Order: sequence, then C-alpha cells, then structure tokens
Amino acid sequence: MSAFHVRRRRVAVVWRTLAAIALTVFFLFPIYWLFMISFKTAEEIFAFPPRWWPSRLQFDNYAVLFKDGDATTVWNSLVIASASTVLAMVLGTLCAYSLARFRTGGEHLSNWIISQRMVPPIAVVFPIFLIYVLFGWVDTYLGLILLYTAFNLPYVIWMMRGYILDIPISLEEAARVDGCTRWQVLWKVVFPMARAGLFATAILTFVFAWNEFLFALVLTRTEVTTYTVQVTHYFGGQSGFWAKISAMSVLGTLPIFVVVAFMQRYLVRGISLGAVKG
Amino acid sequence: MFQARINLRAAAVVQRILWVALMIGVALWTGAAAAQSAAQRAVDAAKKGCAGKTITIVWEAGLQSLDPLNYSGPKWEQLTGCKVKVVEVPTAEMFTKIMQEYRAGTGAYDALNVVPAWMPDLVQAGALEVLDPYVDKNGFRDELQKIAPTYRDNQMKVNGKIYGFPDDGDVFLFYYRKDIFARADLQKAFKDKYKYDLAPPKTWKQFDEIGSFLTDALKGEGVYGASFFREPTYAELMFQERFRNEGGKFFDAQSMKATVNSATGVRVLTEMRNENRFMPPGVEKFGFVENLAVFLDGKSAMTISWPPYGRFAAGYLANEKALDWVPKSKIAGKVGYALPPGGHPQLALGFALSVASTSKQKDLAYLFIQWLNSEEVSTERVQLPYALRDPFRDSHFTNKDYMAKWPDAKDYLAALGEGAKTGLLDLSLIQTDKYEEALRQAMSKLWAGGDPKGILDDVAKQWDDITQRVGVDKQKAVYTGWAAKSGAYPSSSK
Amino acid sequence: MGRQIGRLSELLEVRVGSAGSLVAPRARPRERGFRLALVAPSIGVLLLFGVFPLVYLIVVSVQNITMTDVDQSFQGLLNYRLLAGDPRFWGALLHTAIFTAVALPLELVLGLAMAELFIKHVPGRTVFVALLVLPVVVSPIVAGTTWSLMFDNRFGPINQVLGWLAGGPVAILWTIRPDLVYGAILVAEVWQWTPFMFLLLLAALSGVDKSQLEAAAIDGAGYWRTFRTIVLPAIWPVMVVAILIRALDLVRLFDVVWALTKGGPGTMTETLSIFTYVKGFQQFETSYTAAMALLVIVLLSVAVFAALKRVELAR
Repeated sequence: MSAFHVRRRRVAVVWRTLAAIALTVFFLFPIYWLFMISFKTAEEIFAFPPRWWPSRLQFDNYAVLFKDGDATTVWNSLVIASASTVLAMVLGTLCAYSLARFRTGGEHLSNWIISQRMVPPIAVVFPIFLIYVLFGWVDTYLGLILLYTAFNLPYVIWMMRGYILDIPISLEEAARVDGCTRWQVLWKVVFPMARAGLFATAILTFVFAWNEFLFALVLTRTEVTTYTVQVTHYFGGQSGFWAKISAMSVLGTLPIFVVVAFMQRYLVRGISLGAVKG
Repeated sequence: MFQARINLRAAAVVQRILWVALMIGVALWTGAAAAQSAAQRAVDAAKKGCAGKTITIVWEAGLQSLDPLNYSGPKWEQLTGCKVKVVEVPTAEMFTKIMQEYRAGTGAYDALNVVPAWMPDLVQAGALEVLDPYVDKNGFRDELQKIAPTYRDNQMKVNGKIYGFPDDGDVFLFYYRKDIFARADLQKAFKDKYKYDLAPPKTWKQFDEIGSFLTDALKGEGVYGASFFREPTYAELMFQERFRNEGGKFFDAQSMKATVNSATGVRVLTEMRNENRFMPPGVEKFGFVENLAVFLDGKSAMTISWPPYGRFAAGYLANEKALDWVPKSKIAGKVGYALPPGGHPQLALGFALSVASTSKQKDLAYLFIQWLNSEEVSTERVQLPYALRDPFRDSHFTNKDYMAKWPDAKDYLAALGEGAKTGLLDLSLIQTDKYEEALRQAMSKLWAGGDPKGILDDVAKQWDDITQRVGVDKQKAVYTGWAAKSGAYPSSSK
Repeated sequence: MGRQIGRLSELLEVRVGSAGSLVAPRARPRERGFRLALVAPSIGVLLLFGVFPLVYLIVVSVQNITMTDVDQSFQGLLNYRLLAGDPRFWGALLHTAIFTAVALPLELVLGLAMAELFIKHVPGRTVFVALLVLPVVVSPIVAGTTWSLMFDNRFGPINQVLGWLAGGPVAILWTIRPDLVYGAILVAEVWQWTPFMFLLLLAALSGVDKSQLEAAAIDGAGYWRTFRTIVLPAIWPVMVVAILIRALDLVRLFDVVWALTKGGPGTMTETLSIFTYVKGFQQFETSYTAAMALLVIVLLSVAVFAALKRVELAR
C-alpha cells in the first residue's frame, strides 16, 4: 500500500480514537458522578456549588454495607442472574436453532413466543405472586430464577435466531456429510460461529436479570432481596442515604463490569475473526 | 372480770391491727400488681407463648428500621424468647406490599407499621385486626389514654374501633434562626418598614413580609429568608395545613362537593408560588434532605419540617454512624422552635402499630406492639440516637433526660407538645391516595407555571369524580366522621 | 393476526441473502424428535408463566375489583368503557408514543454509528467497549436518580457547567419546566440504552461478509452504497429484532421518568407504566388495570404488525 494510504489510515485511526474517547466521556460521566458520591461526606454531597471530586478516598460507606449485611444482596443478585442467564441461554438458543433452521411449530409458535414479550410485567406481577404463594416459591432463589428465565427466553430466542440465520447452512451440511450427529453439528459448528451473538445476548440477558426491580420487590421479603430492591431502601421520606445509594450501586455494578470485561474479549475476538464467508 | 375486759379490749385491738395489716397487705399486693406495667405484662404474657416463634413486622426501610433491628427486636427476644423478623419496605412501597400480601392471603406479616391516613382504606379492605378485645384483655386502655391528645384521638380508631397504636409524633414544626431574628440592625430596619417587631410569624402574611425582607437584607451573606421542601409529595401536605389554617374546608359537609377551589385555596396557592421568589432558586425541587442541607448550612432563616430537623440542627449525636448522611450542622444553638403560622401544624404522615388480620399469631403480634408502644419502652425508643420516632406521649414532652440532651431541648419539646395539642390531621377518607394524588399533581402544575384558579378547579373536579366513584353517601359518612375529629379543622381543636 | 405475525418469520428469513434457512426436507421421526426436543423445554417454561397470568387478566378485567371491594361479579365491558373514556389513559398513551418515537431512532442511529466506529480498528477497543456498556448495566432506578441529581439546580453539574459558559449562575429547572421536561427525560433514556443497541449491532456487524466489503471497495463504491447494499441486508435480522425489543421496552418506560418527574408536571410526562403503577399498585384498581393491560397488549400487537407490513411493502 502506498505511503499516502498508510497515512490516511493512521489519521483515520486517530479520529476514531478521539471519537471513542469523546463518547466514553459522555457515557461515563454520570456514572463517574454517581461513583464519586460513594467517597464523599454528606457535606460534599450537598455542597453548593457541587464539587467534582471527593476530598479524599474513604471506604467507610462500603465498610458499612458489608457490616450491615446489605452487601449480601449483591450476592443474591449474582446467584439469581447467573443461573437464570445460563438457563435462558441454553433453552433459548436450542429453541432458536429449531425455529431458524426448521421453522418448528411454524407461525403459531413464533407468534406465541413473540407475544410473551408484549405483556407488561406490571400487569402480571400480581397473578404470578398468587401462583408463587401456592407453590411456596415466594422469597426463594428458585422462584426468581425461574421467573427471570421465563421473561428472558423470548428475548434470547429472537436474538439468537437472528444470529443463527446469519450462519451459512452449507457449513452445517458439510459437517453432517463428515458424519457429525445433529447435536455435534450444534456444538462444533453453530455455537462457535455464533459466538459473538451468544456473548452479546448473554451479557444483555444477564443485565436484564440483574437490574430487574418490580418482580424482585413483590416476590421477595427478607431472604433473597436483590440489590436493586435494597438500593430503594435508601430512598426515604425523611432520610437520604446518598452515600449508601452510590456505594451500593458501585458494588452492584462491579460484578457486571467484571463479567462484561471478561466476556467481551470473546465478543471482540468474534468481531475480528469476522467470518470469511462464501 | 376486769381481766376479761382487758383481754377483750386487747383482742379487739389486735384484731383491728390484723385487719389493718391485712388491708395494707391487700392494698400493697394489688397495688404491686397494678403498678406492674403494661410493658411488663406484655413480656410476661408473651413468655408463655413464645418458645421459638418468630413475629414478622413490616417497618419503613432505612433509618426507621434501625429501631427494631438494633434495639427493640433484640431486646424483645432477650426478654421473651420470641424472635422478631423485620421486613424492611421502602416508604413508597409499604402500602402496596401490605395490601398485596393481604389480598393474596399469605399470612406472611404479623404486625404492621401503617400511616394513619391509610387506615380507613386498610380497614375497609379488611386488612387490619380490631384491637379492642386485645386491649381490654391486657388492660392497656389506661396507657393508651396517656398518648398526646391529638394522636390519641385521631390516629387510633376507625369507626370507633381501635385499629392501631399511634407510635410516632410526626408534626410540622417551624424552625427559625434565633440569632438572625435577634440582630439589632435587622430588627430596626424591619420595624421601620413594617411597623411591627421582627419575630417568628404568627400569620402567613407576616411570613411573606419577613421572608422577603430577610432575603433582601441578607443577600450579601448568601442567606435566604426561608426555604421549604416544595417537592409535590411534601408540598401537598403543606397545602393541606395552610389551607385549613386560613379557614378553608375540603368539602361541603352537606353535599360532599369539593370546596378546595374556594377563594381561600386560590389565595394560598398564589401566595405559595410568590414565596418561591425569595427562596433559593430551584426550591421547587427541594425534598426533605435538600431542604435540610440548606438549613443546616445556615443558608435559610426559616423553614418548616418534621421533628428530626430539630435534633439534626442541634447536632444531637451527630457522630452517630447511622446519621452520617446528615450534613454537619453549622447552626447548633442558633435554632428556635415555634408553631407554623396559623398555629395549627400538620400532623403529616406519622405511624401507627397494627396487627395484620391474616396473621397466624395475632396474640403474640399484639403483645409485641403493646410492649413497643408502652410508656417505658416508647420513652426509650424516642430517645434512640438514630431514632426517627418522635415524641408522642404526654410523658415524652416532659421527660427530664430528653430535656437535658441539648441546651434548647426544653423549648423543642415544649413546641412539640404544643403541636400535639393543636395539630391538624392528614385528610383521611376512602381512597385517600387518589385525593392526595390530585393535590400532588396540582402542586407540580403550579411550579410549572400554571394558573392557581384553573389548577384548583381541576382538583375539585377530580375530587368530585372520585367521590362519585366511591359512592357519595359512603364517602360522606367517612368524611363526616373524620371532620368531627378534634384535629380535622382548627376551629374544632382544643 | 396469526398470518401477520408469521410474516415476521418470513421477513427475517427472506432478507438474509446467501445465509441459509432452507427448510430441510420433510423430517423423519428421529429428526422430528430432535427438533421438538430443542423447543420443548422453552415452551414448558413459557407456558408456566404465560398462561395463568393472561387468563387471570382476562377474567379480572371483566370483574370489578377495587381497593375496597373484591366484587367478582361479571361486569361485561365496564372497565373497557371506563378506560376508553378516561383522558388520562389516552394522555399516557400519547406520552408513551412520543417517547418511543423519539428515543428509538436516536438510540438506533447513535448505536449504529458507534458500532461502525468500533468495528474497525481502534486502539484499546476492548477497554472502550467494556466501559461503554456500563450505562446499560447500572440499575435503571439508580440511573434515573443519578440524572435527577445531574439536572438538579443546586447540586448537579449540568447547571454548573452552563453557568460557566453563560458567565453567571444559571437556574434552569429541567424537570419542572414543561418545555424542558421531555428533553431531560430523553437525554437520560438515550444515554442509558444506546449502549444496548451498540452492543447488539456491533455483534451483528461482525457477521458482515468481509470479502464482499473488499470487493465493493475495489469497485469504488461509496460508503452509503456499500452500507445500503451489503451491510444493511446482513445486519437486518438482528436490527429488526433489536428495534422491536427496544420499542417494546420503551412502551414500558417507567424508571427514568419516575425518578426525574414522577410523571409530572401534573400528568404531562406520565407514561402507560406510570399510570398503571399508580392505578394498580397504589390505588389497587385491580380490574381497571387488568383491562388496561389487555388493551395495551392488543394495541401493541396491532402496531407491531402494521409496522412490519409497512416495512415489507417498502422492500
């Protein structure tokens, strides 16, 4: 490639990097503001004019959360979100494959799966509460895990169907010719090819389960309170635990950040592998 | 013969002495039994039935629930063997969770904290247990009488039956900067301009004059004459108070038509909007904590809020871990306490202890709340360093320990005591929340620049619609009952 | 209605060029068993949570259950009639539609632009992508409250920065002024969900055939032409789903609006979800909200199919 092209390439990279930085600042600033509050004292939080950084890094707010046992709610969220994501991904991807390749159940099945997503949770939370009372699932891990799985399934099925449709069927046919069983085709061909989509969907499914509030509010009491519900305990009519709110939010965001950071390596790798097709 | 007579005499004397001794003995014994407090009786009764059982009580999440979590729960368990499980629920969700669990018939909750204004709705729905039989069985009536009159007479009963024990002396108190009011230069300038002495305002007209004057005079120091929590949730409670102090009535008692859009109402809204001009910019968004921050920072000379402001402003136990979210007070020792203009403060919100009708352990639940609400235990609880429970029994207002907590605590308690005598109840009907919702929306429309008359006409129309839906006669009966209470309108309170 | 929904399946499959969804030849029994085994568990779970609540909604919506009365007598279409005549309901519908119609295109375009940016080489891409996903990850309630604090006149940085630019203190009440309220909410909403679109579209762009792109570049095709003829068809299936998911979520918009305005001033920004929450959770108008939920489900379905039909016609 000529020197001209190389330079144009470099300039383009510089512009892209600058754009990336600008975007990151915009999207991260409010989070920075929130996280910063977790290190501030009450004066600093309500200082006028507002201060943009805490005077010193003090971890007292975090210590309190651990001492009071509030931090266990983050663990509850972790258990529930992880289990329901795994379950939803497994069940959903398999179902999506069937729908994508064989149009199993035809229109009616697709219809029905789609329509599940159109039901506003706020309307069904009470009947579900009634069912749970019957089964004794209120305030249990099992209850919330099953629920989140069910509510995320349509999303997983839709998304994975889209990603699977992107994979050329010729690859699968080739594998069959080579003697693979149907299950082996799934494992060896489909899943690796759909890796980017798998991780993107899994991340977002996890996030939906992690941040869910309404069902967690109604279906838990004291045993499996999730972090989203716990945070709302700090919004009082006659109190405002801003330090706790933000410290808890940091604690609640860190696990996901770790998960995302870990998984998106695979995501990006999937991008750069960028399927040479045809 | 003589001997026999002396013997008879002696015997009579001895008999009399024995008789007196017996009487004294009986008196002492019954006295001891009677003097055995309601708290102790509750403990004793509970000990018999507890053995490894757990009472579940719903409590407001956050600071409030530190009481049962750190103090009353463990103490009760220590005394009786009953465990206490505290279900913390965010304030905004308390009513929802209580109703949902009740509707689903789960029996998950034994005892409850309820806001008195919710009681008619909860009772109508059947969610609360009638407490009279339990009160009589355990002889608690006398002690209930010793709760300060306004709370006792207005926040305990629905349709003449006891459904909850008032447990929190929430009242809107007027706080002002004594030091600013005492400044000679300001006093002179004010007297010159307005012809009366600078002092805590007795009427809202005076408040407007003092507020605008102080904002002008103290502009250089960055201090405002006043600031309030104008956020709609709080503002609508202030409207309820002010409207009634100015003579307004919510409904026409005969026709049950809403009269909130009377000339008084319009005037009140207009004045409230105009006052914002001499308050800190953005005051329309101030909630409890924002307003507190401004006041504790010394930036406003007058404000109105719940009792905790008084304790926080005095820096009372400011180093308590649970209170580290409270901005440090720069005005300790400079705060005066009074009743809001008009003299009848709103008994905004508050809490009462109740028993859930679907509980499977009603007796034990009742005993727990009797113990919590009793004289000794409640006196301890309102003095907890992290307490949000405010004094509510007559004895609390004259408690020597409390008075010693900070130099001006005496005046603080006196003001609270006054408020407990003249206070006004939150509006409490069937579907109260719908009526209050209309008021909240009216406040937010007002801050957005709407016209007071138009806004209130709309509120009146909404209120009439709600009354129609509930049933005019049904609502009228409830309203009449509410309006007859001593704390409903100023003219009828003591 | 079934026909229409089925179009979606067709749409997704027809659009994809060389990639395959050729329906396999008629299945042998073991084959059929395999296919059913794939879908059965999902169906089972969905049935458990899908059937009873819907039945409950239908039954309750024709009764008259309110906070104080559990009146289970048959009321016919009472609640639906009340709903149709309730201006607050139509207002909520309108507000929700406005939010959806404005936020969705913004999120899509911005998300796509970001995905295009990162699909090519950027140093430290891993770090950037991980950071940019954070807004989606923060609890919506907390995100809403944080933005409320950001817009706060006294304690927030936005007015502070504006004050620096304007040369003097600025006291703009973003969440109270009727003319600014929608803007504030949209900023918070777009901020939180654009990364969602970004992530999905990034994964989708990775599936675009690189050899085709190179061929187009050699032919001298411009950016837009390449985009329209090669990229768009390739990412279409995922994009359609992303739009649908986001649209349905926007219809349920609650946390951000509640944290910023609680639906105010008055009911100016009240969305369907907020209205349902107030009526169902605070005022316990159980039957009324059940009727509303069913109505919304029906309206949504109609809207979705109408949109799909239009999209198909345009193609």
